[in-house]
Amino acid sequence: MQASRLKLLVGGVQLRDGVSTLTDILGRIFTRAGLHVIAMEKGYASTIYGAHQYDPMLVSAEPPLSYGDPVYDILVALEYDSNPDAPEQPNRDTVLRHGHHLRDGGILLYDASTGEIPTQALEARGVRVFPLPARKIAQGELRREIVKNVVMAGALFRLMEFDPELVYLRALVEERFARKGRDVVELNMRAAQRGREGIEEILREKGYTLDLRLEPQPREKRAVYISGNECLGIGAIQGGVRFYAGYPITPASSILEFMDQWLPRYGGRALQGQNERESIRAAIGASLAGVRAMVGSSGPGISLKVEEFGVIGATETPVVVVDAQRAGPSTGMPTRPEQGDLNLLIGGTHGDIPRIVLAPSTIEECYTLMLEACELADKYQCPVFFLTDLSLSEGKKTVLEDLFRRRVEVRRHGVLREAEVRGRTYRRYEITPSGISPRVFPGTPGAIFKASGAEHDEFGFVTIEPRKRTAMMDKRMRKLETYLREDAKGPYVFGETRGQPVLVGWGSTRPILQEAREILLRRGIPAALVHFTYVYPLPRHLVEPLFADAGPVVVVEQNYTGQFADLLQRELVIRTRRVLKYDGVPMHPTEVADAVQVALERGEEAVVRITSAVPVKVEVGRNGHEGG
Amino acid sequence: MDTKAAKIWEENAVPRHRIQWCPGCGDFGVLAALKQALAELEIVPHELLLVGGIGCSGQIRNYLNGNAFHGTHGGALAYALGAKMANPHLKVICLAGDGDTFAIGIENFVHVCRRDPDIVLLVMNNGVYGLTKGQDSPTAGLGREVEVWSEEHPPAVDPVLLALASEATFVAQSFSGDVKHTARMIAEAIQHPGFAFVNDFSPCVTYNKFNTYEWFREHVAYVPPDHDPTDKDAAYRLVREFAREGKVPLGVIYRNPRRHAAAHRLPMWEEELAEVNLEPILQTFR
Repeated sequence: MQASRLKLLVGGVQLRDGVSTLTDILGRIFTRAGLHVIAMEKGYASTIYGAHQYDPMLVSAEPPLSYGDPVYDILVALEYDSNPDAPEQPNRDTVLRHGHHLRDGGILLYDASTGEIPTQALEARGVRVFPLPARKIAQGELRREIVKNVVMAGALFRLMEFDPELVYLRALVEERFARKGRDVVELNMRAAQRGREGIEEILREKGYTLDLRLEPQPREKRAVYISGNECLGIGAIQGGVRFYAGYPITPASSILEFMDQWLPRYGGRALQGQNERESIRAAIGASLAGVRAMVGSSGPGISLKVEEFGVIGATETPVVVVDAQRAGPSTGMPTRPEQGDLNLLIGGTHGDIPRIVLAPSTIEECYTLMLEACELADKYQCPVFFLTDLSLSEGKKTVLEDLFRRRVEVRRHGVLREAEVRGRTYRRYEITPSGISPRVFPGTPGAIFKASGAEHDEFGFVTIEPRKRTAMMDKRMRKLETYLREDAKGPYVFGETRGQPVLVGWGSTRPILQEAREILLRRGIPAALVHFTYVYPLPRHLVEPLFADAGPVVVVEQNYTGQFADLLQRELVIRTRRVLKYDGVPMHPTEVADAVQVALERGEEAVVRITSAVPVKVEVGRNGHEGG
Repeated sequence: MDTKAAKIWEENAVPRHRIQWCPGCGDFGVLAALKQALAELEIVPHELLLVGGIGCSGQIRNYLNGNAFHGTHGGALAYALGAKMANPHLKVICLAGDGDTFAIGIENFVHVCRRDPDIVLLVMNNGVYGLTKGQDSPTAGLGREVEVWSEEHPPAVDPVLLALASEATFVAQSFSGDVKHTARMIAEAIQHPGFAFVNDFSPCVTYNKFNTYEWFREHVAYVPPDHDPTDKDAAYRLVREFAREGKVPLGVIYRNPRRHAAAHRLPMWEEELAEVNLEPILQTFR
C-alpha cells in the first residue's frame, strides 16, 4: 500500500541520542524526495542534556493543512539505557510516554542495545515491534558510536520502503562528510545498510509484512526544509533589515544565529547584545542612523525591552520587534509554545504609543508578513511587533521556494534627502494630516534634527506646554488611523459567519483551527473560522461586519485568560466563549473540535480548558503495566 | 575661538531653546568647551550626533547645534553604539551624567569600553542626581573622609579605574572650571580612534555642597608631562599616587588605540537594497 500520509515520532534522551539529528536528516531527505514534511510540535526541555526529547513529524504526498492529531504510524525510540526521568525503566521512556498514541497496527522501532522491553500490550493492538540494537551495531561492528542514528535512518527507510538503493541518503552523506574523507562517507553508508539488514532479519524472524510504502513524488519546483525563524530572517533581509540585535534566549536565539551567519553577506551587521536592553537600544540607534533595524527575543526578554517601546514610539524611530513567544510567566517553560504575550505587546509601556502587532499564521507567513512588517515600521515610524511562538520559531516545514520570489519593493517612506531639505526649515516632528513626519538621517547636509523621548515640539525641543503636548500626542496617535485606513488587513475568513458558530483564532494556530473546523463540519456543525494575523490595532471597519449577525463566537487561543478574546470583546463589544490551552503542548485539531463543541453547548461566556493527553508519562512500576 | 565658528554651534539651538541650568552650573563650562572643541576640529553640525542622557547634563544636546537623540536613563551609550555601527561616518558624542552612566547605565558603560566603538562619552560628573533634587549618585562622596560605611552610603565609584578595568582605550579627566583644558580633552577624545571617555567634574552648585568649585580647585592636579599614557601600569600608578596625595588627576590618563576591522556604512537606500540574491541562503536548506 502506498502511504500518502504518515506520522512518526522520534524520541530519546536530549543531546545524547540525537533525536533532532535524525529528524533533520529525515526532513531534508523527504523534502528532496518531493514529499511534504511538517515538524512543528517540538518536544524538548530547557536543559542541554538528559531530559526526554521527542520530535513528531508528518510526511505527506500532498501539502498537508496542519501537523494533525498526535496519532502515530511509527514510533522511534532512541534511548539505549536508563533515562534520568525513569531510572527503573531502561530504554522505555519514549514508549511509555508515547506508546498510547501509536495507532493500532502501527510500527515501533527501538534501540535494543541494552535489551528488549516488554511490548505485549502494543503487540496485542497489532503493533509490529522492531528491536534493533543500533548502538551496539555502531559501537561494535562499525566502531563508531556516532553512526547509530544513520543505522536507525536506514532501518526506518526500510520500514517505509523508501529509498531502497539509498540514493537520497548517499547524496546527503556525500554533502556532509565528503570533506572528512571517503572512509567517513562509506562508514555512514555501511551504517544505513546495516540498519536495513537489521530490519530484514527481524521481518524474517517475526514473519511481519510491511504495508507502508513512501513513494518519492515528482516535483518540478524546488523546496527547502526550513524553520519559521529562518523564514523570518530571510524576510527581514529581503525587507531591507541590515542591522539585527539580540540577546540569547529560547526560542529566538536561532534568529541571532541566522543573522550572524547571513547579514554580513548582505552588507549588514548582527550584534549579540550584552543584555536585552543593549540589543534594542543599539537597534534604535542604528535605525536613527538610517538603517532598517530589527530585534528578536522571547517573553522574558521582551519584558526587559518594554521601556524602549516608549522610546521608539515617542522618538518615532522604527524598529521591528520579534517576540517568539514561549510559555510564561517569569521563566515559565522556555521550550514550550504559548500565545501569552499579546497583552504585553498591545499594552506594554507607560503612556500611549502608536504600535502595530502582526502575528504570522504559518512558517510561510514568517517570510511574507515580515516583508510587510519592515515596510510598516518604516512608514509609520513606530514599533511593529512580530508575534510568533515556539512552534513557528523552531518548527520546520517543507516550503516551496516560489515563496521567496514574493517581494515587497523596499521603499524608504518619508525620508528626505539633501535636495529636499535644502533651503527649508526642517522640523523633525512636523504636524501632518497623516501623523507621519518626514525623517532625515544624520549626515544630511542642510537638516538638523533633535529627536527626543521627552515630550517635544515640532523641532524636537522639550516642552510641557499643554497645547503643544496635545498636538504632538494627537499627531503620533493619528498614525494609527492612517494605518487602519491604508494598510491594515482584515482576518482570514473560512465559511459564512452569518448565523453560524464562529471560531476565532490568531497567529500560529490557523492550520489547526482550519482542520478543527473541518472536523466540526463533518460532525454537522457549520462553523466558520475567522483568523487574525493583523492583530492590533484591529481594523474595526473590516471586522465588525463579520460579527454583526454571527452565531456564538468561540475564541481559541493558547493562554490562560483569553487575551485576544478580551481584545475582541473590548473592540467589538460582543460576548465570546473561549477555548484555552496553556499546558505547553501545541493544539491539535480533534481536541480543539471537541472543546469547541463543549463551548457551544455550555452557552454564553463558556470557558473550556484543554489539557493534552501527551506527553504526560504513564506512571509504571517495574512489575506493573507496560508501555502502550 | 573666532565668533563665526562659535555662531555655527548656536544655530538650531539658541535662542529656540532657553538654557535651563542653575546659574553657575558646571555644565555651562562643558557647553563652552564642547563648542570650542567642535569649532577647532572644524566638525560640521549635520555630521554630528549628540546622544543625551537623562538629567541636567543630557539637556546639553539641545543647547548646541547638531543632530540629537535622547532616550532612556542609562541608554545613551547603547543608542550611540548602534548608530555608529550603522554609519561610521557620523561623529557620535554621548553626553550623560554620573548617575546615568555609573548607576542605571553601568551595564552599557562596561561593555562599550570593551567593544570600543569610535564614539566619545563625556560624563558631566557632579556626584548627585540634580533633577530629582540631590540624591547621592555612585560618584557621591569623592574625597570625603568617612569612618563607618553603610550599605546605604557606599564608597564612590572611580570612573577612571572602572574604565581602565573595562578595557577602555582612551581615558581622560577634566574640570569644567578650566574650560580651555576641558576643550582640549574633548578634542583629543574626538580624535581618538575608538571609545574615548572623558570624566568631567562639573559641580552642581545647588545640591553638592561638598565637591564645590573651591573643593576641586584645591584638589585637582594636572597629569605630569612625563606620564606615558600608552602604559596601562603607569595609568593605574598615576591614579594611585594622586589618590595618596589626596589629588584628582586632570589630563589624558590612558590612551592606547586598538586595531579594528574596517567598518562601512550599512546599506540603507532603496538602490542599495533592491538587489537581494537569496540563492546562497536557500541552498543551505535544500
